[in-house]
Amino acid sequence: MSAVIETVGLGKQYRRQWALADCTLSIPAGHVVGLVGPNGAGKTTLLNLAVGLLAPDAGTIEVLGGIPAAGRAQLARVGFLAQDSPAYAGLSVADHLELGAHLNRGWDAGLARGRVERLDLDLGQKAGTLSGGQRAQLALTLAIAKRPELLILDEPVASLDPLARREFLQDLMEAAAEQELSVVLSSHLIADLERVCDYLIVLVGSRVRVAGPVDELLATHHVLSGPRRDPATLPDGLEVISASHTDVQTTLLVRTSGPVLDPAWTVSQVGLEDLVLAYLSQASTRRRRDNHHHLEVQK
Amino acid sequence: MMWLTWRQFRAQAITAAAALAAFAILLAATGPHLASLYTTSKVASCHGYACDAATSAFYSKLAGLDTVVYLLGIGLILIAPAIIGIFWGAPLIARELETRTFNLAWTQGVTRTQWLAVKLALTGLAAMAVTEELSLIYAWWANPISNAIRLNTGSAPQLFSQGPFSSVIFASHGVTPLGYAAFAFALGTAAGVMTRRAVPAMAITLAVFAAVQLAMPLAVRPHLVSPSHTTASIEAADQVYASLTADVVPGHPDAWILSSQALNAAGQPVSTIPAACNNANPSGEKGGTTQITPGQCMQSRGYREAISYLPTSRYWSLQVIETGIFLALALALAWFSFWRLGRRRA
Repeated sequence: MSAVIETVGLGKQYRRQWALADCTLSIPAGHVVGLVGPNGAGKTTLLNLAVGLLAPDAGTIEVLGGIPAAGRAQLARVGFLAQDSPAYAGLSVADHLELGAHLNRGWDAGLARGRVERLDLDLGQKAGTLSGGQRAQLALTLAIAKRPELLILDEPVASLDPLARREFLQDLMEAAAEQELSVVLSSHLIADLERVCDYLIVLVGSRVRVAGPVDELLATHHVLSGPRRDPATLPDGLEVISASHTDVQTTLLVRTSGPVLDPAWTVSQVGLEDLVLAYLSQASTRRRRDNHHHLEVQK
Repeated sequence: MMWLTWRQFRAQAITAAAALAAFAILLAATGPHLASLYTTSKVASCHGYACDAATSAFYSKLAGLDTVVYLLGIGLILIAPAIIGIFWGAPLIARELETRTFNLAWTQGVTRTQWLAVKLALTGLAAMAVTEELSLIYAWWANPISNAIRLNTGSAPQLFSQGPFSSVIFASHGVTPLGYAAFAFALGTAAGVMTRRAVPAMAITLAVFAAVQLAMPLAVRPHLVSPSHTTASIEAADQVYASLTADVVPGHPDAWILSSQALNAAGQPVSTIPAACNNANPSGEKGGTTQITPGQCMQSRGYREAISYLPTSRYWSLQVIETGIFLALALALAWFSFWRLGRRRA
């Protein structure tokens, strides 16, 4: 499985602050990859580094085997939809298509026209007067019609209403399937990612907490509930992601490759959202503890 | 990239073209009348002192409109580079950074360097073309007045006593406007790249350009071309107030006087009018029967005036050197924009 994005020790610094530090990850090709993490996790920085809008201050990043934005050929292979899908307010929809045609050698004019017609965008309308959803669709059209191999989207639906969000993602899925695109999109809306992604990366504080195909993640994570007990007494091979206790009961989210055989536990399926939240809160409790120098045995 | 640059620049280009056309129409409407006044005043065919009378007659026939256009033209040419720097240069990149459209532009199939190169080259050339065009059509229109100023050796109205080297005339004629336009445009662009905000960039552009335009004639221009030196008759050189400074270079009426120093008969510099000549005056009490001016008095005592000056033969050297300096500054600022955008990577 080849990687569309491969980073080693990647870092980006703004003044003294590291927005992304020591990030090592590999994003496989042929997937719709969801990149999820809390605000400030470095998602936008990582994606901007991947399209070459930013240059790294530490480490390396390769996209489709090349250096981001290194030249016209590399630029042509990667489509990008920036946060809030910026567009030239004074230029019309038709102008934007013209812009795409003039700036991209591989421009597919038929595809662009077809999409705009299907999406019911008015060619003469100025981009500044489009709704958020329409502007996102226009920006996606630009990114797709340049016929990239990899499409990168930074929080594409964050500012859209639920209906526009659903339409946008549906449309994205169709385009990705038709053109056999690899897609990487970031979001903090896990429900949206669940609908479209078949691969998930949870990024917290520049670190990959968990990464893998969605069905595999779901198959290897279980919720265990049973009489209260110390998680440290669990057998090897079970990794506890989160634990909660009442006076009499313990509920655990565990990761394991094999089945859970202990009859004391009731085993149930975990949803993607709960799974992601468990990893996010695991990170935040760890961070809190580090901050307070408060020692506590978790396992 | 040419298409996008033009599409984004179109409205500004049309505005500039319209302004230029309006001014050209004004010049075309008043120019022939000015030329005919020049002919009927016989300035072209005058010789020697007759020219003073001819030019005076010409000046007196100029209508109020002619004077207004004369001043308006100079003002427009001087202010055009600043306007271009503020409204074309400063927002060129800053607006893209401000509205975050650079995210769109820099992820299409052209490199950032190419994107900036085309934008700078196309808009910069337009800036130079507009300003130089303005200067050329104005020079055509003002040609009769420029000729009259050159031919008038006596006293002329203050408005028409500005020779080719005077600050405003020098800066509004020849090729200098081209250099100023390129500089102001590149300055605005670089300020925009640095501040990433259009409005502060506009303010910086105006402030820096105004400062440079003030410093240039005062501190820099006098040192660009090596001057000529002469020692002239003090009476001929120090015409107006007997101030011991030269007002004209005898034999070079349009020369630019950079410095002058009165010398006594022994060749030593002096800074005051000798007592013996101090009271000399046209009423001639002291000199007995002869009416004598302080200048004539000093002349008779062997005083002379040492002058360093630029003759009109060096006018074009100075024009080319000054323009070259501003073009070099423009290139340096453009290089800064490339470097900064490449380094910051947004």
